Order: sequence, then structure tokens, then C-alpha cells
Amino acid sequence: MKKTLFVLFLVFALVGLVYAVDIQFWHAMGGERIEYFENVAKEFEALHPDINVEVQFNGSYRDNLNKTIAAVNSGTPPNVVQVFEIGTQMMIDGGIIVPVQDLMDNDPTFDPGIFLTPITNYYTVDGKLYSIPFNSSTAIMYYNKTMFEEAGLDPDSPPRTFEDFIEVCKALTVKDANGNIEQTGFTWPLHSWFIEQLLAAQNAPLVNNGNGRDGRPTECVINNAAGLTIFEWLNTLAEGGYLINTKFEDWSAARNLFMSQKAGILFDSTSNVASHKANAAENGYELGTCFLPKPADAPSGGAVIGGASLWIIDGNPMDEMEASWEFVKFLNSKEQQMNWHKFTGYFPVTKEAVEGLLFSGFYQEEPDHMTAMMQLLLSVPSKNTAGAICGVFPEMRTIIETKIQEMCNGEITPVKAIDEAAEECTAAIEEYNSIF
Amino acid sequence: MKINKKLLPYLLLIPTFLVIVIFIYVPAFDAFKMSLYKAGPFGNRQIFVGIKNFQQLFENPAYHEAVIFTVIYIITSVVITIFLSFFMGLLLTKELPGTKIFRTCLFAPYAVSPAIAGTLWTFLLSPVVGYLNYAFVQVFGIQVDWLTSKPYAFFALLFATVWKMMPFNMIFYIGSIQSVPSDLLEAATLDGASNFKKTFKIIFPLVSPITFYLVIMNIATTMFRSFAMIDVMTKGGPGSYTTNMIYKVYLDAFEYHKNGSAAAQSVILFFVMVVVTIIYFRFAERRVHYQ
Repeated sequence: MKKTLFVLFLVFALVGLVYAVDIQFWHAMGGERIEYFENVAKEFEALHPDINVEVQFNGSYRDNLNKTIAAVNSGTPPNVVQVFEIGTQMMIDGGIIVPVQDLMDNDPTFDPGIFLTPITNYYTVDGKLYSIPFNSSTAIMYYNKTMFEEAGLDPDSPPRTFEDFIEVCKALTVKDANGNIEQTGFTWPLHSWFIEQLLAAQNAPLVNNGNGRDGRPTECVINNAAGLTIFEWLNTLAEGGYLINTKFEDWSAARNLFMSQKAGILFDSTSNVASHKANAAENGYELGTCFLPKPADAPSGGAVIGGASLWIIDGNPMDEMEASWEFVKFLNSKEQQMNWHKFTGYFPVTKEAVEGLLFSGFYQEEPDHMTAMMQLLLSVPSKNTAGAICGVFPEMRTIIETKIQEMCNGEITPVKAIDEAAEECTAAIEEYNSIF
Repeated sequence: MKINKKLLPYLLLIPTFLVIVIFIYVPAFDAFKMSLYKAGPFGNRQIFVGIKNFQQLFENPAYHEAVIFTVIYIITSVVITIFLSFFMGLLLTKELPGTKIFRTCLFAPYAVSPAIAGTLWTFLLSPVVGYLNYAFVQVFGIQVDWLTSKPYAFFALLFATVWKMMPFNMIFYIGSIQSVPSDLLEAATLDGASNFKKTFKIIFPLVSPITFYLVIMNIATTMFRSFAMIDVMTKGGPGSYTTNMIYKVYLDAFEYHKNGSAAAQSVILFFVMVVVTIIYFRFAERRVHYQ
């Protein structure tokens, strides 16, 4: 009897294993978010017992992308991959993905209108939505209200224009007898993303052909009037010693400078608003948030979304594809998006999640979470605020960051920096286009 | 049985060969092949361009800068490390109290991986919390951006590299100095030779086989293992100031996804190492005194 039961159990287990679908989800969210995703996968598996989700954390966005490239080239692609927003053109050109639009069109139960428009505007190219938005962010300005008060500034009116910004930084900067900086006005991670945001805030493009949205870009146009204003503004701050630059894209160094109250203002992603608030409470200063500044006389633009989206990789069996679609829909469900937003600060990408958060009174208690959202929703929708689409974004970003660093070190003038940046970026774009 | 005995060595070598072929020869062959193509990041577009990748590299000023920086970096770090470790080796063979403790402590940097070494030095030189930075400010009174400004990023990298390579050299030198016959030194003392003469005319030439070996090992380290330290400390910056050839291969392959150009660069690196090794063995070996 026992033997028969055991055999029957084995048969059922085998049947269960055979009919269960295994999908792989590769992401780049580290720290506490690793455990968060493990729990999300378990919640999903409870709802869908015939699907197993294997969650893998692969390091940074770049490491995750490189691993995906290697896996695709070796014939063992994952199912769902999180790729940063600037990889959009590269992923489309790669020919290895299933556009989400196709899956949406085949699923009558799914309403594509639930997504926030500025976010789908980014990931829609030629009228097709290629990837599912998941963790979107914009750049906001964090400032130390306590330090503002100490410097004699009004903590409730942060600088909104470049000109005011310079004045505020001047007031915040404290130097000792030798001219060494004890406390400075402003710090940021020397990341080209902020430059792109500042361009969009003035409704200016980064590349030609409608910011890459009318067709493949052939030229980098950062050396337009808006770009030059940004470079000159940074140069003024650097010359006066009102800012501290970090190494390229060094988010943690900039955060540390702000959190240790060595700098009064920080540009950072809204995805860290939760941890900034916790840190402010721990270290006894009051945190303020506001939109990025722009020159007083520039046209109004908006914010470009950053963060990443989820791509569904081609070449997997049909049942895995359907399971991936279910998983991705689950991640975008109202409750999941609300939890993700509260846990991090990344926007909820669906309207129902936003409504849920609003009506539950969340934003009354946590107004800083709302800052980035408002900055996004108050943006002027245009090709410039939809975000640039270009295949060599990583290289362009390094070029721009290099030129800014050389300019702030006093080696070249702002005009030369921005013209050289435009030239080198255009060369990189032309090289990329030669392959296609 | 006779056949078995003849075949046995070859059979025992098969596992090693399998590993070498799969992990070294096949990728190397792929790299050579890839250097003749321009490919899209996902490999779906491959255009045969022959030696165009190499031509573009030779005309690229950024590549010239990387080569020049590599040469300067290697020469300064190897020269400083060799002389410093020789000097330390001399001191540690002097039969003073506590030499054993010093040897253990001084060997510690070798046990640490290059990435950790880079992290440690980043922390020590941090403008906000670094101990070494603080000491520098107290002694010299100027605050320097160690990792983000032009000459200092190179110095920071140099400190970390020398610190990392020195223990390895030192241990070899200690062993080698101890094997110098003491009657030679006694005879020299009787003849009235100064310490300086004894060191550089007797000891240094007699340890030249070790120097020969250590120089080539150090060159290999600064060419290739320095990648971890550069990536952790400066990321090749400020700008591309501390980008050497191996870091440039990484950037072109994994950040900019220019696989053809990166493969061409690694082919060039291969030939550079071949040439350096040949020249070194031909010319430098003549100056080595073997006992």
C-alpha cells in the first residue's frame, strides 16, 4: 500500500514538474530590493501555481545587459529582462525581443490605457510599445532645509532658476582660512542623465531627427543654446567653488556628501526618496525636494523618465512567453505598483496605482514622494521630453561627462567643451549607424 | 604495457589540454576572428571589414593616449616597486629584532585582491573620511581631489599599484639576498668597500636573475591586473586620464558594445606582450649573472 502511494505521489510530482512553466526574470535592483523581488515572485507563484519564477540579480544595469547579451548569443536567453531606458534603441536593433505591443494586442483582457502617458511616450517608438514600463524615475533636487536656515535662506523657497541657484550656492558655501571647502552648495553624481533632464526642462533636444523619434539620429545637437546655458552654469558654479564634482556616475559619493551635510543641494533620482527621508530623520536635518531648475528665460519643458523597463526576450517556447506576459502584468497590477512606489520612490506606472495612492492619503503623509510625479505630470509633452532615442547612449554619456569634467577642472571653456562633446558624440553615432 | 607507458604522459595531459583549449585557445581564436568584423551589440549584424578596425585604432587619438599612459604607468610603477622592494628586502635580512613580524605585516597587501586594494585606497584617500587624505591636509595644508583631478589620480593609482606589488617582490628578494655568499661580502669589507658599493656591485648583480623574473612579472601585473584597481578607484577618469590599454578594451567591449574594436585591441595587446617578452629575453638576459 505504501509503495503504491509513493509511486502515485512520484507520478503526480512528475506531472506537476512537467506541466509547470519555468521562467527567468533578470533584474538589476540591489540591496534590500533583492529580497523584495524574491517575495514578489513568491506572491505571483501563489496566484499561478503552474508557473515557477526564477529571480536573478545580476548587478548593475550594464552588468545585467551584458549577461543578457552573452545568454542570447549562447542560445539560452532569459524570459524577462530589466534594461535601462537608454538601452531602448539597442534592444530594438538587436532583433531579439518580442515587442510588448504584440502581446498586448493579442490579449483582449488587457487595457493599454492604464499606463501613464509620459511613461509610454518614452518606450513607444514608431507607434509601437516595445517594453513594459516598470521602474520609472525622474531627477529631482533634494535640499537640506536646516542648512538653508543656517545660511539665512528661506527653507520653503528653493531656487527655481539657474541664476537663483548660483546665489543660493554662494550663500551655502563656507571656506576655511586656506581656501579649502568646508561646506559647499551643490553636489551631483556627474551623470549625463542630469544634463539630459536639464535639456528637457528647457524643451531642447539631445539628438536630431526629432530627438531620434522621427528616425535614426545622425547628429548630436547638444551644442544648442539650451545646452550651452547648462554648461556655462556648471562652469560658473565650479569656478566659484560652489560645487563638488564626483567621479563619473558616482551616485553613492554624491549621496554621502549630501547626507554628511557637506553639501546643501543634491541632484538625485526620485527612486531614492525613501532612503533620503530615512537618513534625514537619522541625522537630524530636514529634507526638502523640488523640481530641477532651468534658466529664467528658457521655454518650459518637462522631465524625461529614467529608470528601466521590462523586455520580453524572443526565442523561448510559447508557454514561457505567455507565462512571462502574466508575470509582467502582475508586476504592473495596482497593489504591486503601490507597494513598489512606497518601498522605493520609483513612480507607479499605472493610473489606478496613482489613484490608489492618492485616495489612501499616502501623499498627504509623504509629500516628497509626490514631487517627481508632479514634475513629470506637469511636463509639456513633446519629442524633447519624451526622451532621446539613440543606439550609442552609453558612449555619448561618457563623452559628455568627460567634457564637463575637463571644463570644471578649468582645462577648456564651456563653448569648446560643448562643441567637442557634440562632435565626438556625432562621430560615435555615425559609427553605430554604419552597421545598420 | 609498453604502449601504455608511452601513451601515459599524453593521456595525463588530456584534461589540462581540454581546459586550455576550451577556455584559452577557442576564445583567442574567436577574438582574432571578431577583430576583422564590425558587429552590433547583440551579434545580429556582422560586417566583414578586414583590418579597418586596426586602421581606425592607429588613427584614434584616444587610443594613442591610452598607449602612452600604459607605458608611463608601467615604467614608473615597475621601477619604483623594484627599487623599493630591493631596499626593503635588504633591511629585512639584517637580523634585527622583529623582522619576522614586519615580514608578515608587509606581506599582507599581496594576500588582498586587487579590487579590495582599490577599495581600501579609495577609502583612505576619500576627501570626506579618508585617513591618508586627512594626514596629507594636516602636513601640507592643501585639500586635493585625489581620484578626480589630473595628476593626483595617477599618483593614487601608483601608490595602490606599488603597495600591491611590493610584497611579492620583497619575498623573492629576501630569499635571494640571503643566498648571497657571505664570504664575498666579508672580502669586500676587508678591501674597504663602502656599503653602497657592496650593495650595488655585489648584492644587486647577484640577485639579477630574480630581478629579471620580477620585472617581467610586474610588467604583466601592471598591464593586466591593474584593471581591477583602475575600475574601482578612478573608472579610467578623470576623463580618460587613467585609462590604460586593458581598461580601454573593457570599456569598448562592455560599456560601448563595440565588439570589433575591442577584439582588435586585445589582438594588439597580445602582440605587444609577445614582442616585449622576446626583446626582454634576448637583451636583458645578457645582463643577468647566473651563479
